[in-house]
Amino acid sequence: MERKVFFPGMLLPYALLAPQILIIMVFFYVPAAQALWMSTLLQDPLGLSVQFVGLENFQIVLGDPAYRQTIARTMFFSVAVTVCAMVPAVLLALMADRVVRGATPYKTILIIPYAIAPAVAGALWLFLFNPSVGVVSYYMGRLGLNWDPKIDGSHAMWLIIIASAWKQIAYNFVFFLAGLQSIPKSLIEAAQIDGAGPRRRFWTIIFPLLSPTTFFLIVVNFVYAFFETFGVIHAATQGGPGKSTEIMIYKVWYDGFIAQDIGRSAAQSVILMAIVIGLTVLQFRFIERKVHY
Amino acid sequence: MFFTKRAVMGAMAAGMIAASTAAYAQQRTNIEVWIGLTGPAQEEMIKYGQEFNASQSKYNINVTFRGQYPEQRAAAFAAFRAGNPPHVMQMFDAGTGDMFGLPRATVPVSEVFQRAGLQFDSSQFLGPARGYYSRPDGTLNSMPYNVSTAVLFYNKDIFKKAGLDPNKAPATWPEMIEAARKIRSTGAAECGFSTTWLAWIMLEQFSALHDLPLSTENNGRSGLNAVLNFNDAPRAKMVQTLIDLSRDKTFQYGGRSNDANALFVAGTCGMLLQSSGGHAGIARDLKAEFGVGFLPHFPDITTSPKNGIVGGASLWVFNAPNRSAEEFRGVAEFLAFMAQRDRLVRFAKATGFLPATNEAFAAMQAEGFFTQNAGRDVPILQLTRGTPTSNSAGYRFGRWTEIRDMYHEEVEKALQGQQTAQVALDNAVRRGNEALRQFERTATAAQ
Repeated sequence: MERKVFFPGMLLPYALLAPQILIIMVFFYVPAAQALWMSTLLQDPLGLSVQFVGLENFQIVLGDPAYRQTIARTMFFSVAVTVCAMVPAVLLALMADRVVRGATPYKTILIIPYAIAPAVAGALWLFLFNPSVGVVSYYMGRLGLNWDPKIDGSHAMWLIIIASAWKQIAYNFVFFLAGLQSIPKSLIEAAQIDGAGPRRRFWTIIFPLLSPTTFFLIVVNFVYAFFETFGVIHAATQGGPGKSTEIMIYKVWYDGFIAQDIGRSAAQSVILMAIVIGLTVLQFRFIERKVHY
Repeated sequence: MFFTKRAVMGAMAAGMIAASTAAYAQQRTNIEVWIGLTGPAQEEMIKYGQEFNASQSKYNINVTFRGQYPEQRAAAFAAFRAGNPPHVMQMFDAGTGDMFGLPRATVPVSEVFQRAGLQFDSSQFLGPARGYYSRPDGTLNSMPYNVSTAVLFYNKDIFKKAGLDPNKAPATWPEMIEAARKIRSTGAAECGFSTTWLAWIMLEQFSALHDLPLSTENNGRSGLNAVLNFNDAPRAKMVQTLIDLSRDKTFQYGGRSNDANALFVAGTCGMLLQSSGGHAGIARDLKAEFGVGFLPHFPDITTSPKNGIVGGASLWVFNAPNRSAEEFRGVAEFLAFMAQRDRLVRFAKATGFLPATNEAFAAMQAEGFFTQNAGRDVPILQLTRGTPTSNSAGYRFGRWTEIRDMYHEEVEKALQGQQTAQVALDNAVRRGNEALRQFERTATAAQ
């Protein structure tokens, strides 16, 4: 393609870029560099003594079996949230795609949960599942199930998985629906004429054509489960009982904010940053290849 | 990354406040006071600031709520790092050890008064509160303001239904367990008892009451090198008792912090171990008569239980290079104003916290407050019972907020059946000592 616009001199392009670069500097590069620097320091809570300790914070964090358990737990949690958020979303999108009359209200209703703040979602689900006043736990009790996320770690884990996934279903739904609507109707009609049933049409035509969307959503959901579920966990379980719902981002916050151990917290946030960078690289390598604009 | 963003925000907010207040009261010296209390206690303290401003023309006190204790602490520490901390901050009980371990950051309250030339008698404060916030030489480091301790609340209606005497609170653990079992066996309630603030009540209060040490070095008062040693038989017995009783809901675990309060006010549990600060909330929410009793003890461990320890928070005076003598004088006058007898009485009545001084307690007794409000004197009688020993005069550990949570985590695992009470305490002590050693290293470097 030919370039149609030329700017004389270098000043204008730089001036136009400056606000964006400034924002990225202030909100990403500076704090990220600070986190890197802080991860090499040992400080008291008030910062009166600052000692350079090199990689000791990383040694302590990665050498702690409890932290390795937290990593494993975070992986389990992220996979569970991704699956629980994507499978219902694709089913709902398939249904919504077939609705002819009143499609807009359906879609609006399905999208609304995305507008709810994570902490509110956490509080909402906690309330539903509260052992003493929750509606859901009341009926579970009548069915003879002894539900108590305050003391049972796996109950607590499922509580935060459901609450986190529920919120993300709406987001995934929008993307899946858009993906479905961009599939040419003629392809599906052709398959229909050839005698393919709905299931076969889904697996041989729709699903492969949805795969770039699916892969994109896997990455986005994974990142969501890693970072944005903090509000849900903080409102619902505070990482307990025991450590059974403590994921990596929660521990970063706890160690920095409550324990006031900034070096250890910074080391963990650097580890997390490395994971995000890894995920982003994955996303670019795989999605760029599959998506044809 | 998360923390640094917060820190920047806190520092920015501090700068903005300082700039805006400077504009509106030029001739007065500005004093910033940050608090972390909510509800009536917050309203009262903000009101006292306004009253102080109206009472004189030299200082302008600005009492602001900065989020609950942990948020407020993080904001104040970030402001301190940026070189402009509030003049006074409110620090919750568990954060006390951090402040003691880093003495360069603050000026002891006794010294603030001395510098200002104001008369101040620290012996007027309730014994255990004084012990908790004083240096070994008697210097009062911070001023106790909202003081509480833990007591037993019991639902009299449930007691009657279970055939128990509603006018007699169980005094010992065997009596408590028997009452709880009876509540369960008669179907008077779904659960016998629950507890809020697990570590504070089952570890800290329990150890003080039974005169047992939490660590070496006089519970950390004699040095930063204290080693935790609360993993002995009596403490394990307490945790094991909770585990055993939780099998048939004689005891029901209600979560960390204040969560279990809901189980009591909903009538699910017949009894609750709870902070005395929860009294007003229970009176408002519980649709039944209730009584207040002392925390129970094990007669086979001690026959004469000691005083409980204090909870709540105290007021600390920050040190910073840009602080003038005039500002410290203003702080001293404001603290003296806050500690006036009538104001402490007003605060205690409005909030349910205890009057912080003996004088204020006597004044409330004299006007018959405790005969009209049965049970409100139980916490104070429990706090002032006997002479505090080195085990019951409070403790001083850096990073105690985190160590409390280690205890919570390990005991929760034991309640889930993943480990025994002894293993839970061994783990909590091991992890707690690692945190103490790290604090010792940083605090020693800071001296």
